[in-house]
Amino acid sequence: MRIALEHLTKKFGHVVGVEDVSLDIRDGEFVAFLGPSGCGKTTTLLMVAGIYRPTAGIIRFGDRVMNQVAPKDRNIGMVFQSYALYPHMTVFGNIAYPLKLKKVPKQEQIARVQAVADKMGIGDLLDRRPGQLSGGQQQRVALGRALVKQPDVLLFDEPLSNLDARLRLVMRAEIKHLQKELGITSIYVTHDQVEAMTMADRIAVIQNGRLQAFDTPDDLYDRPKTLFIAGFVGNPPMNFVDVEIEQANGAYYAVSPALRVEVPPDRGAAAAAHGGRVVMGIRPEDITIDPTGAVRGRVFVVEPLGRDDLLDVELDAHTRLHVLADPKLKVGAGDPVLLKLDTQKVQFFDAATERSLLWQ
Amino acid sequence: MATATPQHEPYMGSPADDLAFERISTGELVFQAVYSALVTVMLLEIGVIVFRVLEPLVHHAPALFGSGATIDETFTRTIGNALMTLAPFLAYAVAGHKMKPLASVNRARALGAALAAAAIVFVLVTMGQYVFRIGPFAERPSLEMTLRQTDAGILVEEVVSGGTADRAGIRPGDRITAIRRVEVTLAELNTAVRQSKVGDVIRLRVERGDEEEQFPVEVAATMEIRPAALVAGLVIALLFAAVAVFWPGGWTPYALLIAIMLPLAVGYLWLIIATFSFRTEGLLPVNAQGEVGGLTLRNWEFLWREATGSNPSIWRVTLNTLVIATAMMAIVLLVSSMAGYALSRMNFPGRRTFLSLTLILHGFPAVTLLIAIFFVLRNIGNIPVLGDYFGFNTRGGIALVMVAFELPLGVWLMKGFFDGIPWDIERSALIDGASRWRTFYEILLPQIRPGLLALGIFAFISGWGAYLIPQTYSIGTKTATLAVYINQLTSDTAPVNWNEIAAVGLFQMLPVFLLFIFAQEYLLNIYAGGTKGSS
Amino acid sequence: MANQRSVVQDAGLAGEQGTAVLARSRRRTLRAQLTAYGFLAPAGILVILFFFIPMLLILFLSITNLSTTNFTTDIVRMLRSDLDIDLVSFRFVTDQPAYIVGFDNFERMFRDEFAPKILFNTLFYVFCTLAFFNVGLALVISLLTTHIDRRAGFFFRALWILPRITSPAVYVLMWRRIIAAAPFGILNQFNELAGRSEVNYYQDHPWVFVILVNGFIGASFGMIIFTSAIESIPKDLLNASLVDGSSVFQRIRYVILPLLRWPLLFVVTYQTLSLLTSFEYILLLTGGGPGLYQTEVWSLTAYNRALNTYFANAQWGYGSAFAVVLVIIGVVMAIVYMRAFRFNELVAEPKIEVL
Ligand SMILES: Nc1ncnc2c1ncn2[C@@H]1O[C@H](COP(=O)(O)OP(=O)(O)O)[C@@H](O)[C@H]1O
Ligand SMILES: [Mg+2]
Repeated sequence: MRIALEHLTKKFGHVVGVEDVSLDIRDGEFVAFLGPSGCGKTTTLLMVAGIYRPTAGIIRFGDRVMNQVAPKDRNIGMVFQSYALYPHMTVFGNIAYPLKLKKVPKQEQIARVQAVADKMGIGDLLDRRPGQLSGGQQQRVALGRALVKQPDVLLFDEPLSNLDARLRLVMRAEIKHLQKELGITSIYVTHDQVEAMTMADRIAVIQNGRLQAFDTPDDLYDRPKTLFIAGFVGNPPMNFVDVEIEQANGAYYAVSPALRVEVPPDRGAAAAAHGGRVVMGIRPEDITIDPTGAVRGRVFVVEPLGRDDLLDVELDAHTRLHVLADPKLKVGAGDPVLLKLDTQKVQFFDAATERSLLWQ
Repeated sequence: MATATPQHEPYMGSPADDLAFERISTGELVFQAVYSALVTVMLLEIGVIVFRVLEPLVHHAPALFGSGATIDETFTRTIGNALMTLAPFLAYAVAGHKMKPLASVNRARALGAALAAAAIVFVLVTMGQYVFRIGPFAERPSLEMTLRQTDAGILVEEVVSGGTADRAGIRPGDRITAIRRVEVTLAELNTAVRQSKVGDVIRLRVERGDEEEQFPVEVAATMEIRPAALVAGLVIALLFAAVAVFWPGGWTPYALLIAIMLPLAVGYLWLIIATFSFRTEGLLPVNAQGEVGGLTLRNWEFLWREATGSNPSIWRVTLNTLVIATAMMAIVLLVSSMAGYALSRMNFPGRRTFLSLTLILHGFPAVTLLIAIFFVLRNIGNIPVLGDYFGFNTRGGIALVMVAFELPLGVWLMKGFFDGIPWDIERSALIDGASRWRTFYEILLPQIRPGLLALGIFAFISGWGAYLIPQTYSIGTKTATLAVYINQLTSDTAPVNWNEIAAVGLFQMLPVFLLFIFAQEYLLNIYAGGTKGSS
Repeated sequence: MANQRSVVQDAGLAGEQGTAVLARSRRRTLRAQLTAYGFLAPAGILVILFFFIPMLLILFLSITNLSTTNFTTDIVRMLRSDLDIDLVSFRFVTDQPAYIVGFDNFERMFRDEFAPKILFNTLFYVFCTLAFFNVGLALVISLLTTHIDRRAGFFFRALWILPRITSPAVYVLMWRRIIAAAPFGILNQFNELAGRSEVNYYQDHPWVFVILVNGFIGASFGMIIFTSAIESIPKDLLNASLVDGSSVFQRIRYVILPLLRWPLLFVVTYQTLSLLTSFEYILLLTGGGPGLYQTEVWSLTAYNRALNTYFANAQWGYGSAFAVVLVIIGVVMAIVYMRAFRFNELVAEPKIEVL
């Protein structure tokens, strides 16, 4: 089922929940809505589900305008962060409820519920009540309930954020696998970029109710179109330095009081064309500590992350860079270091409009 | 006594305090205790004076507005008197309490000092009472003669010379037969005297020899000292002091709670005793001859008595009550949960108006509308068919009015319960394909079961005990509830069997009481109008 | 609607399709509202029947002379006979209305020689019951029960609900027995044991018992409110005061009582209103006696005049005038009370917008 949102807007009195969001979701695609909490992800999802009425804009499933269609007629399945299981019904009752409402014959109900439950690995829990289940099991029941009616669209609202870290990994893989297997168009809301990056075919980044970008995870990471996206996607976040571009002997240099590095000619040229001050972005993993490095700094703080150490390196009073370093180097706070920047992946942004100078 | 307190001996105060007490002489200890006790009495007496000063303000305030309407009774004086009665007892307790620190060091000495102090305070208090003619020295109405009951009337044995009887002309050997024309026994005469005020005149019919004559005797005030009362007073004083010495501080709130509950406890105790007694005098069961005893089950006979002309069978009334209470419960639950749901969960024009209206009605005293509702019911009664079920003097009408009175509270409570259910559950149901109505009764109602239970029981209890509305809107016993039935028993023209009424009352209370025990935790909140702290 | 039209235009849905969307939208909105009103309807009908109509009716009755002699329930007929207007001259058809007497009832009420007495009785009753019991005793009980073992405290509070669930007639019977004359009365039995003379409590102290009877019921309301307020005081605050070395009394005086200001105000306003208007127990205990109007309060007067069958002549009109005074006080105070205490809670909007 293809889903199209056209200029979708939702206002709660004076509070703007969602503003002018337009995007097209292809049939069978897995799309993540990514954004900080309170940015309007749930609101968008609930409009798609039919719980909220859009203040303006159109929602289409296929070619059909859905704005006035009741939730029950949209044939969607939804999984909530709180699972929203019916506490007074058994697991069977919960999963069978959509079928019961559709007046599916009892025999068929039992068969379909059993099939879904087996698929979710909860086939032997059907007599329990939600209160007697663990968080992970409740999550599977919720998923089963969403799937049992064979929906055209699946909606997930931060379904994993109540689970512990290990279970989250397991469920992440399972949901992704299921979605691919069933081929149901899905929207997955999350504030966790790792989830979005690992699971989604495309990610819609939302900030303050506005759509910031709608791209594949790779594009978002390697070719961010705005400063916001560059800073938002990736952990630890990208470093930004105000620089000017100098051109000498056909080579381009990014220059600031704290550093002077050569940048690839194609990217340098695009930034130079803009002229004046630009914002240079470089990810922590693209900086290494290297005796041949051209940038001089002093380690300010060391945060051990386990696999890496995250260094906060002070170049001068105004400039600091986050650097991912090998713990074996045993760098300590106060140590002077030389940094080498892998400028092949450097990004440039207009300081005023915050738009990328490289990708449009 | 240079050795320190041994480790194993318990003590309460700090060691320094205890040792300090050890060093003070017993005489000084007693003096201190007496002093504190007297200060206590003084403070309470100041309270009494304050209430006396308040008296004109509270009772004669109308005079300030130029109106002659006064409150005839001295409520403040009653409180003052209560304080005054309480004062000595408190003083004895204070005297004992002073010895508490010492008790942990030397029990015997502490007890001795406390008793001595209490005795001294008792003497002082008694002297004060004598001077002010209060307590055991209070003057009471009397005819100032000694009487004895004989077969031929009340024999005058002695007459206080110069006393009121003497002045009226009554002589020893006279026989009193009646007050005016009403024949009396000694007990009745004593009652009459006790109930009259000083200065009242009692006209005694007296037989002297063969003559019969009426003597108007003015009731005089005499102080009648009874040594037994004084001894009892002293014993109580010593007891209070002794108990206070060893009284654990943690018991005080319990003692106070029990003390303020006393009237209720006594009342309910009487209720239970009375139902199994032939008659009661105070709290004692009494038989026909006036002797203690006379336990009987005859008060419970109403349970199997057949209906007679004016008296319906109890089971019919019970059934009526049950029908009204159950109907009321069902309707209150249904109607308030529906309205509460809409107000909590739905958006529609006028929602805010409806909400504030519910709240205003919740605060509004519906009883003020009783008169007008009388006419509403009468008019409903004029509607064909419907009127036969919901009009004036019908069970349906009464139930509806009671439902309406409970509604503002019910709707408000239900709204609160619905507010507490997560939105996602309802959204989920809607997405699963349920209609709003179906979501309401299949998904949401089961989740506010505790709320429904509480409101249901509350409604049932108020329906079961309903008195005012059924009484006002029904004629005769046709639609009466048990409460109305009980009240009708009390106003029967035939002699009233109070003990049977008590039994019916207990019978009526029983189911409600069981329900209450069953659901008290929920109910406590509802009785406060569904407010939770309200801060 | 304007909003929705622009949506349709924005989205480029012109012509028939746009109109169809709009029409469907309007129909759906209407249906959603009808569902809501459907849920509200039963409550609404009852409220209209037993609150609104009576409120208007009592205002109307208070300007009529309706009594046993000219009794009718047909309000419409009353209105028609008295207020029929001649369509030609635009005058009332009759200048001698049979029922409507204007403000005569109120005039009579103000002139009534017992009205001041009843008024002050009412103030006295409300003040004393409120001060000593509904607030005073309630505060004492809740302080005591929150300073003992939790379960014991709960038990004692539960006991205080008993009077509320006892049938009024039985509850009053109990009190009657407590104050009855010797040899039946319980108090007088104690008096006898203590060697004191008998007191005729009912004759001599009816007010004391009117206030006691109502107070022992009324105390539980404040008790519950105060208790939950005290229990919601953060334990840290109480512990801090203990660490500071304050005694129990100091803690009550300086920590607990200041925090009870709002609950206190709430109980006072709410209970004032309910004491002003409730008369059930006075009716049962003294019926306003034993002396002439000795314990009669305003609401009881309204009831007695209009509804009590002991008075052969029920004066609905005159009784209504008494009731109207209370209705007006009730409405005003209920509005004040709503504004002061609860309205903020109402603001939350529903989070589902369909159906
Ligand atoms: N029913 C509502 N009423 C009023 N404001 C709302 C409502 N739902 C959401 N909002 C507001 O809209 C914004 C977006 O909320 P939401 O979509 O829940 O964010 P999130 O991205 O965390 O899911 C927030 O500012 C929120 O306060
Ligand atoms: Mg959200």
